[in-house]
Amino acid sequence: MRTEDGKAQAPAPAPPDGRPARPGESNGAEQLPPAPAAPPAGAPRRRKMGHADFSSRGEPILWTLGGGLALGVILITGFLVMVFWNGLVTFYPGPIEVVTLKDGKLVAGEPARSEVFRPGPEVLRTLDEAARRAVAASGGYVSRTLYRIGNYDLYNEDFRWVPEFEVKEVRTPPDMFFIERLEWGSFVGRIKALKRDGQVLEAGKFGLGNLRGEHAEARARWQRVRRIERTEIGEVNHYLEKERLAVRRAALAHGEGSAQHREAQAASAPRTEALKKRHAGLSAQAKAVKEVDEKVHLVLADAAGREKEIRLSEVVRFYPANSLGWGDKAGVYFSRWWEFLTEEPREANTEGGVLPAIFGTAAMTILMALAVAPFGVVTALYLREYARQGRLVSIVRISVNNLAGVPSIVYGVFGLGFFAYIVGATIDQLFYSERLPSPTFGTGGLLWSSLTLALLTVPVVIVATEEALSAVPRSAREGSLACGASKWQTIRRIVLPQAMPGIMTGLILAMARGAGEVAPLMLVGVVKLAPELPIDGFFPFIHLERSFMHLGFHIYDVGFQSRNSEAGKPMVFVTTLLLIGLIAVMNAWAICVRNRLKRKLSAGHF
Amino acid sequence: MAAAAPGLGLEMEETVYHVKEGAEGANLELENFCLWYGKAQALHGIGMKVQKGIVTALIGPSGCGKSTLLRSINRMNDLIDGLSVRGSIRLDGKDINAPGVDVIKLRKRMGMVFQKPNPFPMSVFENVAYPLRVDGVRDRRMLADACERALGEAALWEEVKDRLQENALGLSGGQQQRLCIARAIASDPDVLLMDEPCSALDPIATARIEELIARLRGHFTIVIVTHNMQQAARVSDNTAFMYLGRLIEYGGTNEIFVNPRLPRTSDYITGRFG
Repeated sequence: MRTEDGKAQAPAPAPPDGRPARPGESNGAEQLPPAPAAPPAGAPRRRKMGHADFSSRGEPILWTLGGGLALGVILITGFLVMVFWNGLVTFYPGPIEVVTLKDGKLVAGEPARSEVFRPGPEVLRTLDEAARRAVAASGGYVSRTLYRIGNYDLYNEDFRWVPEFEVKEVRTPPDMFFIERLEWGSFVGRIKALKRDGQVLEAGKFGLGNLRGEHAEARARWQRVRRIERTEIGEVNHYLEKERLAVRRAALAHGEGSAQHREAQAASAPRTEALKKRHAGLSAQAKAVKEVDEKVHLVLADAAGREKEIRLSEVVRFYPANSLGWGDKAGVYFSRWWEFLTEEPREANTEGGVLPAIFGTAAMTILMALAVAPFGVVTALYLREYARQGRLVSIVRISVNNLAGVPSIVYGVFGLGFFAYIVGATIDQLFYSERLPSPTFGTGGLLWSSLTLALLTVPVVIVATEEALSAVPRSAREGSLACGASKWQTIRRIVLPQAMPGIMTGLILAMARGAGEVAPLMLVGVVKLAPELPIDGFFPFIHLERSFMHLGFHIYDVGFQSRNSEAGKPMVFVTTLLLIGLIAVMNAWAICVRNRLKRKLSAGHF
Repeated sequence: MAAAAPGLGLEMEETVYHVKEGAEGANLELENFCLWYGKAQALHGIGMKVQKGIVTALIGPSGCGKSTLLRSINRMNDLIDGLSVRGSIRLDGKDINAPGVDVIKLRKRMGMVFQKPNPFPMSVFENVAYPLRVDGVRDRRMLADACERALGEAALWEEVKDRLQENALGLSGGQQQRLCIARAIASDPDVLLMDEPCSALDPIATARIEELIARLRGHFTIVIVTHNMQQAARVSDNTAFMYLGRLIEYGGTNEIFVNPRLPRTSDYITGRFG
């Protein structure tokens, strides 16, 4: 195909760049005189030939393809590295710097990040001559540092930017503490004293070891109060509610004031009385512990000396940030991770742990897989094996494929409208009428979320299963049928086992998609805070009607719905890391299962 | 071959029969059997009596309908959409295409071996036990006995008796094909249908399968489709020569190969076409 030029010219000598001339490759271009003024006819011809060269060689296309792949890999790796790095360093305790500003004020905090910015003229006007010159010398740019200053109750802000030109001196005094509290976020400052039963014990004399001991005791008291209030009183409340519902059920079934209703009331009265007594006893216990707790206080002071007094039990964790060894830092790091993985969130989700969210995500994904697997496989089996392949089946198949493209929020609307408001409300009418008007299944919950996501992901499973089924060789089916197996026996014993790896692949894809989906869940059951896990010690143990927390929604909530998005930012990364990790673990498990199946199906034949 | 324009001539020709009778007569009778894939007719008025207990070979050029005919006998063609048949195939006097015939029961009376070995991806034992399992046999002893007997008859027992629980896909090609034969005869059928059973095997494995067919002769009515004329000559008692969906000549193997009655048969056998 190449070229008019090549035919016209004699075999070319080696080109000037030392490249050996390939046979058939035209070197017309190089043969032209090197003078910049090329003959007018040569220029267009040269360009034309270069174009032919370009497309016939194919290598530029190879570069484009490789470049596309490389770009994709870089994007994904970069994303993962960013999430991993930010997620992993979040819990590492940093130093506390005390910055003396030029106006004499003190700022103490953990440096979060630094950046270069260009102060506006209205800022420059306020500076003194020397500072202005320094700014001008660096081209009008100044660096500034974001400090996590904590002490929200004192300053009304958690973070503060400190530009370089305001700084007079930066120190890291060893007696600065980073104190995580149950309320108001963290505190950065010094520990002045411990107040116990009215005595004031100076921190310096009391000693850090003793303080840790006191703190452990205070935390134990706090745990005890929580256990009484949450678990034990929760249990009593559960049984009280059960009694109330029993009476209400009798009233609904037989009429208000009927013999049965009065009987139920009479039967329930002594039990209710006993439960109420237990409730009062537990409340008294909790109150007693709280009274002891009330007497132990910690007196804190910020860098400037402003004092703040809090109960010792309100302190979650404290450490002298500037005098920690490697071991201590690692200790703080891992204790924060432990808290993150095993505790409930607090402070509008920006602090504490995400255990309910981990649990909710895993439970929902597993339930979804349980729902979607049989549904999708059965549909695909019918479509591929039984249905007469015609126009109708084609239409169904196209519709199924298109379902995969429906925006997920639409599924959320459908789930809410159909599952919660129609199916759930009917279930409530039939089985839980005594609880009305408060809905049981008639609102979003774990079950409806799982089913909604199952609908969302069923096309993936159907398509994958259909492909897996059609990939089972005809010879295997015929072999089975020739043995006198019925169609169903052939499908169950021969086709399905051989298609299983493909089906598992579809299921894995569906799980990955479902576990990461957030939008529809916001409509059908995910909430900001649901400390009650869907599985607990009360019959029937798995509470499918309960709303739950989800890591994906947690990320959105912490990142964009919280009081202070800067404070939530590290948590966003940690939670993202955890979500990616959770999905990776679930997928890895499913892939292991699939590979075991595959090995069984293709034992070495060589 | 194209120049011979055989289409018209064939309409005229009658099948020539000189069948070697088996000791027990025929147990598979085809009468004027025709078959259409949609509108295309693949088999034209086949009439033949397959003798019980001996080996019948089907030969003919590619696309002549041998496999279609074989697959009609156990109704494997039912899987194909738009298939229609006319005429009858009778097994022990009963039409297999009659309404009300249980096709699964019918297939249980017939074992089938395919071109390419197609063992299931399960253990050797489960492969052979499969026809009994789908028949509802659960008894471990019965399965084990049937498995040993079938593998023994298929001349595979000695080779696999220590690896019954291993995956059948780990066997060699020839072993796999003998395993498929064992599977086909495990439920003790009357008829054994073989669709070019050696076409995917090397000469040594082929020789073993042929030996096996010779051993099975007498136990089953065997119908074998083959492209290999030497093979047909070696293993079969009767040979049916088919051409363009018609049965041309059907008779004793020696007769067909040594002294074919029709010039077309002789042309095919001597390799003048096909």
